[in-house]
Amino acid sequence: MPELIPASVCVRDLAMRYGNVEALRGISFDVAAGEIFGLLGPNGAGKSTALECILGLRRQDSGTISIAGIDVLARPQDAKRIVGALIQAATLQDRITPRKALKLFASFYGKPAEVDHLIEKFGLTNKAEAAFETLSAGQRQRLFLALAFVNNPSLLVLDEPTAGLDPRSRRDLHDIIAEMRETGRTVLLSTHDIDEAYSLCDRIGILDHGRVIAAARPADLIRDFRSSSSIQVRTTRPLQESQLVSLPCVKGCSKMDDGWVIGTSNLNETIVGLVRGVESCGNEFLDLKVLRPSLEDVFLSLTGTVWSDRSEANK
Amino acid sequence: MRAVNETFPGLFRFFFLSLELNCRSKQAIVYGYLVPFLFLVAFGSVFRAETPALLGEMGQILTITILGGACFGMPTALVAERERGIWRRYRLLPVSTGSLVGAVLASRVILIASAAALQVALAHFLYHTPLPIHLMQAAAGVFLVTASFLGLGLVVAALADDVPAVQAMGQCLFLPMIMIGGVGIPLLALPDWAQKAAGFMPGRYAVELLQLVYCDPDGILGNGFNVIALFVIGAGAAIVGARLFRWDAGRHMGRSTWAWVAAALLAWVAVGLAAAMTGHLAPALPPDIGYEAITESEINSITYVDLPGDNEFVSRVARPFRDGDGMRGMGGYARKLIDWVPGQVGDAGQSTRNLLCLAGVADVSQDLHEGEIARLVFDNLRARFGDDRLSRILAWIILYPQEGTAITTVPEFGMVRQYKEEIIRERTVLYAKKFLGRLRGKIKD
Repeated sequence: MPELIPASVCVRDLAMRYGNVEALRGISFDVAAGEIFGLLGPNGAGKSTALECILGLRRQDSGTISIAGIDVLARPQDAKRIVGALIQAATLQDRITPRKALKLFASFYGKPAEVDHLIEKFGLTNKAEAAFETLSAGQRQRLFLALAFVNNPSLLVLDEPTAGLDPRSRRDLHDIIAEMRETGRTVLLSTHDIDEAYSLCDRIGILDHGRVIAAARPADLIRDFRSSSSIQVRTTRPLQESQLVSLPCVKGCSKMDDGWVIGTSNLNETIVGLVRGVESCGNEFLDLKVLRPSLEDVFLSLTGTVWSDRSEANK
Repeated sequence: MRAVNETFPGLFRFFFLSLELNCRSKQAIVYGYLVPFLFLVAFGSVFRAETPALLGEMGQILTITILGGACFGMPTALVAERERGIWRRYRLLPVSTGSLVGAVLASRVILIASAAALQVALAHFLYHTPLPIHLMQAAAGVFLVTASFLGLGLVVAALADDVPAVQAMGQCLFLPMIMIGGVGIPLLALPDWAQKAAGFMPGRYAVELLQLVYCDPDGILGNGFNVIALFVIGAGAAIVGARLFRWDAGRHMGRSTWAWVAAALLAWVAVGLAAAMTGHLAPALPPDIGYEAITESEINSITYVDLPGDNEFVSRVARPFRDGDGMRGMGGYARKLIDWVPGQVGDAGQSTRNLLCLAGVADVSQDLHEGEIARLVFDNLRARFGDDRLSRILAWIILYPQEGTAITTVPEFGMVRQYKEEIIRERTVLYAKKFLGRLRGKIKD
């Protein structure tokens, strides 16, 4: 197998519109060589459009994209030679077999990966000679991923790689993507799944309405936005709001089912105050949980809307 | 250069895979081979009484096959693949979309040509239709017609958003050509305005070209305008089709699309106007009407006074073959004459003219058997048409010596040299007079 040189990606002022809709409004970001970078955003945020421009599938209205120093617009074929991709809404002919598809795609590259090795690596040995139309969704996704590896790519671009997969296939795919970090490949993926982005990516760019509104390591994003921690509490006898807002360092509280969520700027002081207050009135704890800030909170504080609402609304 | 060398094996594999997947598709087999076979049988059941059967219709039959494969089959497959996102995946390859489309079109040429070859073979096997006179020219003709129609198919694929739209657009091309374009209904059966309209459609030129390579001694050269017309229409469509090609179902047509389509149609108009200006849209005459219209008084007006004698240097005619003289060694020629395709074309007038040309070429080339060949031709014509009909045909040839086409070389009989057409036409008139004189009792046989 040839030596792999990870590729960096540089996107500058990328803009693209479909008629009156501005899909991308001058986004810029960098992906370092060997890094797993996630574009996170609800459906319709512009993730797929950005990736399709990077892959040379669409021609941007303005802005530049370079992969390993290669200008994608000026030298699209050279860029495609070092990029492997898994894209949405793309399929294969019904009667083609995984082996034939891999051989076909491999034959377009000077130094392709071993087809048999890919079949084994992606768990397609038993289906290598089966018609594409007979493969399950998970098997198809594994074949598409194998196709993305067919040219030993330096950069992998994965658009919503786990969309539509069952939990097991999803977990398998997460393992494969995590392995890529070890092989030194650069990975650029898009997802609308916050947990997936948090667990897989070295860095995340949050995309909203065609703009990158934040880009950093997930932990740094959470820390930088200083979202307060919260305490979730339930007691045998209901607590009054007036009791809670008088506790030390409390920033606010909201009713949740038969309990409360209390926002605090100092967890220790608020919890000590809460325990004393509950004891003093002879009440008893049923549940006490510390809620750490999440990417969802970051999204909320950046856009003013709740992630799940936006994601559902866009669907 | 390195990039081209790297991707060439891929394009080659893509070409073969396209062929393989087509051959494994029941739909492709039915539409590509079974439907054309049914067309052949339909034509055969109507025209099987002709001698030889279907010889005059093979141009139409082959054109229908090619038209179906190129303007329905190819765009249907291309648009279905685009709708499903197959082309999105191919677009990720380090090769231009044009190269991939080129490989698909190349595989289509093979599929359509194989369907055409199958029809030629089946017509020969089922109806004893002679094989094309010019096999190489026939192959070239099928290729040209296929390439031209694939260009049109590419435009259909670019314009159609989905498979039903392909069917609708395909019908818009197919039906006019079938009905008034000379493809389904022969030009001769069409009114004058429809014949002229057909001149603006590629189907007419496809039929004429394929008919020429099938049974015209001059082959493609019999009417070079057909080649030019198909090339102009096909190239225009291919350029526009390539320019408008959409690999992604999500990509919609731009404002300039209809201007490009107009440019493609302009090629049709240009061809039609050029045909009109160069006399290629003259009304087609029923082949038999020429001699059928000859009257008794016209036959009687023909004189035989200045004819050379049968044993003189020009236009010799040997004495009749008698029982017991063993055809004087001409048995082989007689058999060859029966199988000689130009002598069997459906148009009796042209068939007779072709046989007289054979005698003329033998005469001009001073063949050792020139007189015997003329005698064989005379006997053959009498046996086929009878004295009365042959009299009118010969009179028509004498009175209208420039009608039809003239054969100027007959390599099938070992006479490979080509002679000037005017000399051969002159000899056909001499032989026609000698034969007519014998039939009318004016010349002693």
